[in-house]
Amino acid sequence: MERPLLEIREVSKHFGGVYAVNGVSLDVKQGGICGLVGPNGSGKTTLFNTILGLYRPDQGNIYFNSSCISNLAPHQIYALGLVNAFQLPRLFLQMSVLDNMLVAARGHQGDRLLNSLFLRRKWQEQEKGLIQEALDILELVELDKWAFSPASELSGGQRKLLEVARGLMAKPTLLLLDEPAAGINPVLGRSIFQKLKDFSHNGTTFFIVEHRLEILFEFASWVYVMDKGRTVAAGQPQVIIDDPAFYQVYLGEE
Amino acid sequence: MDPLLYVLDLIVYIGIFGIVALSLNLEFGFAGLANFGKVAFFLIGAYTYALLSQTGLPFYLCLIAGALISAIFGLLISLPALRLRADYLAIVVLAFGEILRLIVKSEDWIAGGDWGVTVSPAISLMGASHRVDALVNIGLVYFCLFICFLVVQLLANSPYGRAMRAIREDEVAAEALGKDRAKYKAQAFMLGSAIAGVAGGLYAQYLQCVLPGMFMPMVTFTVWIMVLLGGPANNWGVLLGAGLVELFDRGANMAKDYLILPIDPSSLQYILFGALIIFVLLYRPQGLLKESRIKTKAIELARYGRSATKNKGS
Repeated sequence: MERPLLEIREVSKHFGGVYAVNGVSLDVKQGGICGLVGPNGSGKTTLFNTILGLYRPDQGNIYFNSSCISNLAPHQIYALGLVNAFQLPRLFLQMSVLDNMLVAARGHQGDRLLNSLFLRRKWQEQEKGLIQEALDILELVELDKWAFSPASELSGGQRKLLEVARGLMAKPTLLLLDEPAAGINPVLGRSIFQKLKDFSHNGTTFFIVEHRLEILFEFASWVYVMDKGRTVAAGQPQVIIDDPAFYQVYLGEE
Repeated sequence: MDPLLYVLDLIVYIGIFGIVALSLNLEFGFAGLANFGKVAFFLIGAYTYALLSQTGLPFYLCLIAGALISAIFGLLISLPALRLRADYLAIVVLAFGEILRLIVKSEDWIAGGDWGVTVSPAISLMGASHRVDALVNIGLVYFCLFICFLVVQLLANSPYGRAMRAIREDEVAAEALGKDRAKYKAQAFMLGSAIAGVAGGLYAQYLQCVLPGMFMPMVTFTVWIMVLLGGPANNWGVLLGAGLVELFDRGANMAKDYLILPIDPSSLQYILFGALIIFVLLYRPQGLLKESRIKTKAIELARYGRSATKNKGS
């Protein structure tokens, strides 16, 4: 049987005495959108940061494409095709929107010191193609008009969109998105999910944390529910919605 | 003294310190590394040049060796120092510069201690006047300046420069987008040190001596003023900064020779420099020229279209 794209096995991460993530095991299968929900402080973002190598897990292992990534640095994990978009956009504000996109391009020849000086023709050629890709993605999130403006001139919602677009720019195998629809108007939020769904046909799988459940449940094919650092429920959205554990987590006990 | 020589001297100084300012711009302006020990690498370049030129090695090899040794020291100090937060990095390299100066000052066997050693000029023409000597120096210094400028400018307008700026803006985000920040920082530090080393060699051969007193911490701060005044992350800006600061600095020396003043102008300028840096940081933190945007052929093409780039002749 084929192994899932991302396998998390008994991963724990604690800060002092607080277990932010406590023995979580879950799988993200290739293709489509996988959701992760849970109340604030349930450990979703910590789990994401642990997957990305920003935190090292205290226990457990994480496998991506069947290889263990628990001890890799973030830039190595990125090179494997596991990319993320931050919950609070972390843009390079002094740089143009297009430059923000180009930083994220994977395998740009000119990223290396000597190549940038001595293989100019080669990376210039490559960059033409990358710019076209970047402009296409920016058009998708309706930011193409801003491509040459500094990122600092974007509004809060637009910054969020650029953060997502930057993740797409890497042509990732798996893209982690932390609340992509938060702070964006509902119509655009839904259309973003529609576009992500379309984008997943290119071979990108999405693992998404989202509080806007009505949107997430419409597009996700599988959802995990976290509470107090553990996964408490998992299943297809229409099953989860009737799961008492899910109700208890979100609405509290009766 | 011949008044024209003052002007020629000023031009040489602008060239040499322009090179140092470019190296700090690479480190601080583009990569965001606060190198408060710039003078250390300037010193290494100068002393390497001085010691090697005594063995009869041709001057260009001495300059290259100065750059290489300076780069090696830059790499060695960057490995532990870059793991520190920016303010600690500043303290470590500041201390490194002072330690080096005190070592060459107190260890006579290296290069004559406090008395220094004399250095023969790189190119000496038989029976040439001071003016011609100065002109030869201008040629040499500006040739080196041109090469350093070209390297830094090409890097700044490349994907590599884009990655450096991204690390300066938000190093965690850059790391999460696949940029090995430790590698980029170490490379920027190494390259910056090499460029400062070239300037050090030129300085030694121009003054025809090396003395520990030439490498006081004030040199570092003078270069910082050039960068902050001219505009970090703008190579033309820092050259402008170097020009203005040197004009001021050499001008004070000139005023001392020509005017009778109640106070020594070269001491007064330190006070004025201090005031200037506060003024710049408060009222024009981006410097005289603002950060240059990243220009690659492909970006210009996408921005202005094919015809526009052709019309510009590039």
